[in-house]
Amino acid sequence: MNSDVLRIDLRLRRRGTCWYTTGIAIYTLVIVALYPSFKNDTSLDQLTAHDSTVAALFGANGPLTTPTGWLNANLYANFLPLILLLVTTGYGAASLAGQDEDGTLGLIATLPVSRPTIVAQKALALVILAVPLSVVTLACAFAGRGFQLTISTSDLLAITAGTLLLGVDFGAIAMLIGALTASRSAAVGITAAIAATSYLIATLAPVVPWLHPARYGSLFYYAVANDQLAHGLTLLSAAVLVATGLAATLGAARAFERLDIH
Amino acid sequence: MTTVVSVTALTRSFGQRRGITDVTFDVTGGEVFGFLGPNGAGKSTTIRLLLGLYRPTSGQMRIFDLDPTLGPVAVHRRVGYLPGELVLYPRLTGRQHLDRFASARRLTDHRYRDELVERFNAELDRPVRDLSKGNRQKIGLVLAFMHRPDLLVLDEPTAGLDPLLQDEFCQLVRETAATGRTVFLSSHDLDEVQRLVDRLAIIKDGRIVVTDTVDGLRAAAPRTIEFRFAAPVAPSAFDGLDGVRVVRGEGPSVVVSVTGPLGPLLSRAAALNPTELTARPADLEELFLSYYRTGQGDSYEQ
Repeated sequence: MNSDVLRIDLRLRRRGTCWYTTGIAIYTLVIVALYPSFKNDTSLDQLTAHDSTVAALFGANGPLTTPTGWLNANLYANFLPLILLLVTTGYGAASLAGQDEDGTLGLIATLPVSRPTIVAQKALALVILAVPLSVVTLACAFAGRGFQLTISTSDLLAITAGTLLLGVDFGAIAMLIGALTASRSAAVGITAAIAATSYLIATLAPVVPWLHPARYGSLFYYAVANDQLAHGLTLLSAAVLVATGLAATLGAARAFERLDIH
Repeated sequence: MTTVVSVTALTRSFGQRRGITDVTFDVTGGEVFGFLGPNGAGKSTTIRLLLGLYRPTSGQMRIFDLDPTLGPVAVHRRVGYLPGELVLYPRLTGRQHLDRFASARRLTDHRYRDELVERFNAELDRPVRDLSKGNRQKIGLVLAFMHRPDLLVLDEPTAGLDPLLQDEFCQLVRETAATGRTVFLSSHDLDEVQRLVDRLAIIKDGRIVVTDTVDGLRAAAPRTIEFRFAAPVAPSAFDGLDGVRVVRGEGPSVVVSVTGPLGPLLSRAAALNPTELTARPADLEELFLSYYRTGQGDSYEQ
């Protein structure tokens, strides 16, 4: 398959991806290096001892001094998804609606490349843009073994896959909304609202009984908020995340077929 | 000659905003077809429909006997397009644009592309954001022509080019048409249109008001004739002549605008003892402007 649309977009995002990756690497290394200083701090565990809503809001729902609790509360439940979503939602909104607003999409759309192929290449670019952040974070988390922060390889791989898929899903949703509305700001705004709601539902569900059933409607639940760092990513969760990404991409392709390109 | 572009009753509406209505014209192979109209008349909308970027509300269009809405890839393979408001990727250099777009078109022989770069003296090694409008336009022209497309769709192609490069562009268009390829040229530059196009259509308020050859339009354009007589003449002396309108009449001088045959006018004037006659050639620019201003009533095609 011709990959020129993909290569153009990756080239345009190269610098930003490098900066985001560097930033998340530094942050993860700091978090990892700080762990020995806090692993015996029992006052931290009191935050989550009685199903604290405040702790839940930050994605912490177990002891914070364990390796999984520490990494979950400081990285995988909130900060990494946030950074990934910044990258993927930003690209998803820019890839169709943003480039149409800029006027560059017309150049691509008059090449002998079909619109579904353009969307497929942009979806692939979305995955590729999310990979460096996930992989570098994984590598830095592995480095935690040198700081008494030991988590099984399979669980780290599982949560890496979960966060990666989560980012791709919201990027694909932004792409879909962009193709439907032809507006970059609508794509960013609506996707951000969906993501924030999804995050709140997943994090508060354990402490708010009536929200408990709603967690199944949250992508965060399937990716990071169901103790994936301790118990891995279930097949069902992976399937939901993959299916969501595929459905949003197919929807974007369909909407893009009908989009007026300027 | 084969019909390369066929547009029949093409309509696109945008809700409250006017689009185009019942646009009909044909472009035959090897011709340079001009598409003129004031800003907002519907030129770019028509072009985007032809390229499959917009979907029509109704009507039909065929490019190389293909529907650009249903099969845009096959159409795009044979078309080179220069948008009216060319936007390139600011961070990429001209060379990166050319390489990537050539690759997307599976263009492996770069000799013609390189020849065009040299011909237009295009700057390829600086990011596009650092280039002037004219230098960006040169890259746009190379992108449109480099794969030797069978149909070129050029929307305001000389915007930002200096006069020397405008001449170079005109030469390139003539060479392109001479090889049997077709050029669809949207332009505001009437001089450029008169120099280049074989036939043209004028669009105003979303409707085609005239489709004709440049020679046909020139024949229909009013010629201005000024008479000077030995004695003062009343303007009414020319009443009743077909295609003759008195523009000005003061004393012995009468200026008339003529679109019909000259014989009856000259016979009438000869009887009034003329001493001097000055005729100005058909003013195509004035004709175009009159279409722009008034639409000249109903549309017609010749």
